[in-house]
Amino acid sequence: MALSGTSRVRRQLPTSPWLFAAPGLLVISAFVLYPFVSTVVNSFTDRRTLIPGRFVGLANFRELLHDDMFWTGLRNSTLYVLGVVPLLVVLPLLLALLVQKNIPGIAFFRSAFYTPVVASIVVVGLIWVWLLDERGLVNSLLETVGVGRVGFLSDQWLLLLSAMAVTVWKGLGYYMIIYLAALGNVPRELHEAAAVDGAGAVRRFLTVTVPAVRSTMVLVGALSSVAAFKVFSEVYLLAGPSGGPAGEDTTLVMLVQRTGTGLSGRVGYASALSVVVFVVTVALMLLVLRADRKEDA
Amino acid sequence: MRISRRAFAAAAVAVLLPLSACGSGGEQGGSGDASGKVEGDITFQTWNLRANFKPYFEGLIAEFEKKYPGTDVKWVDQPAEGYADKISADAAGGTLPDVVNVSPDLVAPLAKAGLALDLDKAAPQYRKEYLPGAWDGHRIPGMTGTYAFPWYLNTGPLFYNKTLFRQAGLDPEKPPRTYGELFSAALQLAEKSDGKVATLANVPTIEDFGRYGVPLMNKEGTAFTFDDAKGVELLTEYKKLYDAKALDPQALTATPESSGKKFLTGAVAMNPGSALDLGNFKKQAPSLYKNIGITDQITSTGHVNMYVMGVMVNSQSKRKPAAVAFAHFVTDAAHQMSFAKKVAIFPSTAGSLDDPYFTKEDGTDETRVRVAAAKSLKTAVNYTPVLFSEQMKIALRNEVAKALQGKQSPKEALDNAVKECDRLLKQQG
Repeated sequence: MALSGTSRVRRQLPTSPWLFAAPGLLVISAFVLYPFVSTVVNSFTDRRTLIPGRFVGLANFRELLHDDMFWTGLRNSTLYVLGVVPLLVVLPLLLALLVQKNIPGIAFFRSAFYTPVVASIVVVGLIWVWLLDERGLVNSLLETVGVGRVGFLSDQWLLLLSAMAVTVWKGLGYYMIIYLAALGNVPRELHEAAAVDGAGAVRRFLTVTVPAVRSTMVLVGALSSVAAFKVFSEVYLLAGPSGGPAGEDTTLVMLVQRTGTGLSGRVGYASALSVVVFVVTVALMLLVLRADRKEDA
Repeated sequence: MRISRRAFAAAAVAVLLPLSACGSGGEQGGSGDASGKVEGDITFQTWNLRANFKPYFEGLIAEFEKKYPGTDVKWVDQPAEGYADKISADAAGGTLPDVVNVSPDLVAPLAKAGLALDLDKAAPQYRKEYLPGAWDGHRIPGMTGTYAFPWYLNTGPLFYNKTLFRQAGLDPEKPPRTYGELFSAALQLAEKSDGKVATLANVPTIEDFGRYGVPLMNKEGTAFTFDDAKGVELLTEYKKLYDAKALDPQALTATPESSGKKFLTGAVAMNPGSALDLGNFKKQAPSLYKNIGITDQITSTGHVNMYVMGVMVNSQSKRKPAAVAFAHFVTDAAHQMSFAKKVAIFPSTAGSLDDPYFTKEDGTDETRVRVAAAKSLKTAVNYTPVLFSEQMKIALRNEVAKALQGKQSPKEALDNAVKECDRLLKQQG
């Protein structure tokens, strides 16, 4: 009986893993791989929403180079990464250190910091628009203290900074949870030994905590840089569909949406933009990974 | 915790690939023959109408199915947000409903792709039932034929806040009637309020250029022309308003919704609207409603702007006779009239606007607005060219914004906008 049971298991081995994986593979093939391949193929055509395209070679990519809006989008997406990522690497770590301690009522603060993560981005965006409006709460407070009204939603740069603030505020809780998990693995003895050697709180943070969670910081840096480069919702909600004053706050993904959708959408050109976004984002990930490996060496 | 290159690669693929969802194309063609027996199942798609008018449309469909036994109409309603995207996805996927609620700018690309039925060929017998201007509202420059039944029309007055007018030393009973008066009143309002009250909340759109008397396109419909001297004049005036804060500083990123809210909160003194808005004012801003002023749209042409809604028949429909019959049923004089009595819209059928409902006032603001709008509709124009796509609207808006910010002159801005719109027009084919 035992022998026949073993042989049955052996016979099933080559196919059964594939059967287990099949549902997942089907979903990924249909909703990830096929759209990706289709986008790459479309990027070499002049396809439009309702009109099948012809092969145009690299024409879409050549056009990108002469499209002012592409460079505006690339600039804004890059600035977004530079502005948001350092804050999202450092601030959630500090927040995690604050809420790590087991003191009464700390669960409330952990939940409070995490709430923006689960809130709908549209609702969050609208609330921030109300707050930052010329007649909103923030401007009323600034006017009360004598600063005067600030055009958060009408100035190109302030608008981009405001969108970055929303992204950071919304992302804090998510990355805080990742750091909390990492901090749980830092041996308490290391802190105690450092304290015995006379290290203060700041020194212990720099010499014990940071090295212990460095890989997590790299992970957070990679995840947040990808998310920041692909930013859409925050800027769209604050700056409007036209991408802020004169479209100067348009990001690359907003440009993809604007160019490729609608009945007159240029699917081929939008696909070329998507391919560029993909390539740049992969490059960003590799850059972060390379930096991590160099640190290890 | 070290993170391997492989783990990073997996994460990258999972995070990045979904970026790549773009639409696909459809096919041209479609028979124009709509003769035959009215029978079979058809689908009818409306544009954000279920929430408020469900009983009306259910009654309409039941009436049609009773008149034509053997027909079955499935009604689907799509939200206002992303309506064009929904239609383009359906059109590209070959699942466009048989009868679709559209506006002229949505019909144009569908007609060019061969997906809209030419009613001049398929249903010419109905043409005389509609106002000539409305029937022509769904013609596409460069193509012959009409591609949707005219449905309801809308236009509206210009609302103004009498309190703000009074505070600025303006006579609230004498609102501006010409562009010159409007610009001068706006500058006075801004000056007296120390820049806190703007008069207008939106940058000029293609419709504004049209109402100002700027020629928008050439006769052949092959090129835009709104960069002429008259267009430059209008943009120059707007630049003066923007500098004086008579045009709201947030106008560069404003939407019709945000402008409406600014008017409700008293941040802006004037706002275009329709009879529908009176109900909103009453409910959301009772103090504003008590001080609301109503005046005519300002034009240099003598023709106010109107919005046209249509009902298109899918040329690929397998039940064309039923689809044409239903589209006509929805838009015939009797049903347009009964729909108009449920909501502040105006029928596009010949003679309907002469009904006492649209000609006699009962002393209320609602009827005053309705009667005035119905009167102006007889000579109204849909200024927005049917070929003016969303991308073109954004191109114009961005160039106008650059001019208002002083980054380029009004002439340069309009030249650039025309150049970009012409480029997009050529790409549309």
